[in-house]
Amino acid sequence: MSQPLIALTELWKTYDTGEIAVHALQGVDLVVRRGEYVAIMGPSGSGKSTLMHILGCLDTPSKGSYLLDGEEVANLSRGRLAELRNRFIGFVFQAYNLLPRATLQRNVELPLLYGGVEREERRRRATAILEHIGLVDRARHLPGQLSGGQRQRAAVARSLVTNPALLLADEPTGNLDQATGGEVMALFDELNRDGQTVILVTHDPQVAAHARRVVRLVDGRVATDEERQAA
Amino acid sequence: MNLMEVVVDGFADVRAHAGRTVLQTLGVVLGVASVVATMGMTAGGKQQSLKYYAESGGILKVFAWPRPVEKVRASAREQASRGMTLDDVEAIRASIPGFDLVEPEVGRSLLVRSPRLSRSYRVTGVSPTYADLHELIVERGRFITPEDISNHTAVCVLGADRAQEFFGSENPVGKGLRIGDHYFRVAGVLLYREFYWNRSENYNALGWMNELVVLPATTMLARQVGAGERKVDQIGLRLASLEELKDAVPALKRLLATRHGAEDFQVFSRQERMQEMEKQGQVYDITFEVCGLISLIVGGIVVANIMMASFTERMREVGVRKALGAKGWHIGVQFLMEVAIVSGLGGAVGLVLGIGLVHAIASMLGQPAALTPSMVLGALACSTFVGAFFGPYPAWKAARLDPVVALRYE
Repeated sequence: MSQPLIALTELWKTYDTGEIAVHALQGVDLVVRRGEYVAIMGPSGSGKSTLMHILGCLDTPSKGSYLLDGEEVANLSRGRLAELRNRFIGFVFQAYNLLPRATLQRNVELPLLYGGVEREERRRRATAILEHIGLVDRARHLPGQLSGGQRQRAAVARSLVTNPALLLADEPTGNLDQATGGEVMALFDELNRDGQTVILVTHDPQVAAHARRVVRLVDGRVATDEERQAA
Repeated sequence: MNLMEVVVDGFADVRAHAGRTVLQTLGVVLGVASVVATMGMTAGGKQQSLKYYAESGGILKVFAWPRPVEKVRASAREQASRGMTLDDVEAIRASIPGFDLVEPEVGRSLLVRSPRLSRSYRVTGVSPTYADLHELIVERGRFITPEDISNHTAVCVLGADRAQEFFGSENPVGKGLRIGDHYFRVAGVLLYREFYWNRSENYNALGWMNELVVLPATTMLARQVGAGERKVDQIGLRLASLEELKDAVPALKRLLATRHGAEDFQVFSRQERMQEMEKQGQVYDITFEVCGLISLIVGGIVVANIMMASFTERMREVGVRKALGAKGWHIGVQFLMEVAIVSGLGGAVGLVLGIGLVHAIASMLGQPAALTPSMVLGALACSTFVGAFFGPYPAWKAARLDPVVALRYE
């Protein structure tokens, strides 16, 4: 069997707040293979945000091992982590987090700029992905001139432009109404059908229902881990 | 690597935040402008002094006057003082080579009469080189010549105002004028001269040149004063060069003191006066420069304030950029670009505004404005200082920012 994309072993994250140490993650074991569609659920304070930050290489664990595509991430430098984020991971945030004063084109090109991709190639790839998402006619618009659904789709385009191994979405429908949220989820479903590995972090069962595997966190540990039939 | 690309991106970012950039730039502009303005005003004042000295004979001029003696406190020697004499003049010429011109001046108040006007004025006996000492300019005719001196010629030279008074619009050269009890022919008329320290004070510092009535020194002594008289009113001298100042002026004082046996004279040197003024000026300079510096610091604080305010506002953006794979230096360059543009632009605009301010204030006070290379350098130094002082810290902080903390920022 091929090497898993993500392998977490006995992963701990401890925040030292001075007087008391807070254990956000207390020995998480998790394996995610390429092409999976996983929802990570859990109540507030269960550690799902911390887990997402570590999965996304924004943060490093206090203890334990995180193999991303076979490479140990736990002890890497900031610069190397930035490279991994750029190459392996596409983020989609609840609040879209598009740069408000940059056009969609510039927003989508930004990860390629940081990846050192040439100007012409950046333009070509950003245009291609905007075309795929259906926003190519809005390339010159600023995020503020778009609807919430369009903004989130633009954010998805930006996360996909580097062709990342992992799409990591944090409450992607949290700021959207039912209909537009459904559109965005349909986009994730389609991407996953084409082989894209997707991890959703959410507390919304309707969103989690799109995934084929649901991992529940309680008090920093994996409580349940269920596979289910594709919807 | 792709530094150029990141710089271009940083530039686009600055353009996108035009409002913030304008505010910051304004801070630098005001600081730099006030520094330039204070420098310009002080430089203008100095140039004014230099210009006056240049127009009226240069900084090489030295004067020696008899000093009025206080009768009560004076010593016997001082009371016996005969003032300055032609013998003093000859002694100076003979023993102090540091002066290339030694000009005695003998004046009397005499009745001057033309067909138009009859009035008493001070008439001065001088030698031909008197014009060189004071940089007098002859407009019509000629000045006193060596022949006038040796022949005791009965000629006079008039300042522009006097010529106007006695002859109106007629050309006075060759015309007759009665001075005291004798008849004189007008040999020349001097060019009208003016110099105003500032327009609000209506005082022409070169006005005395327009009011001159001069005769050959020998004629003056023989016809107006009395042939036996050797006493002169003042001695004007010119240093052969500035290097002579150190030796020639003390030598002059020693010579006069020895010859007179008392301190019954005063010596005034323009160069020494300049140095004194320079010293006094330094006090004002420092005051002005401190004022300018305070405005610069205020400007810098404006920049730092907006920088820090926008820093918190931009924390989330920094987090997003980092999530997308930006490394520390990407973010740092972006922040530094902003400071570089702000301080560069602010320096340039501040310089222009400061020069404008100098001209505006100068024309209000009626003083000349000065633009010196040191002002441009000063403006450059100021804006670079603001950039170098207030730029790297926020840039470094942003570069080091933990992406998780930055993303969580609301």
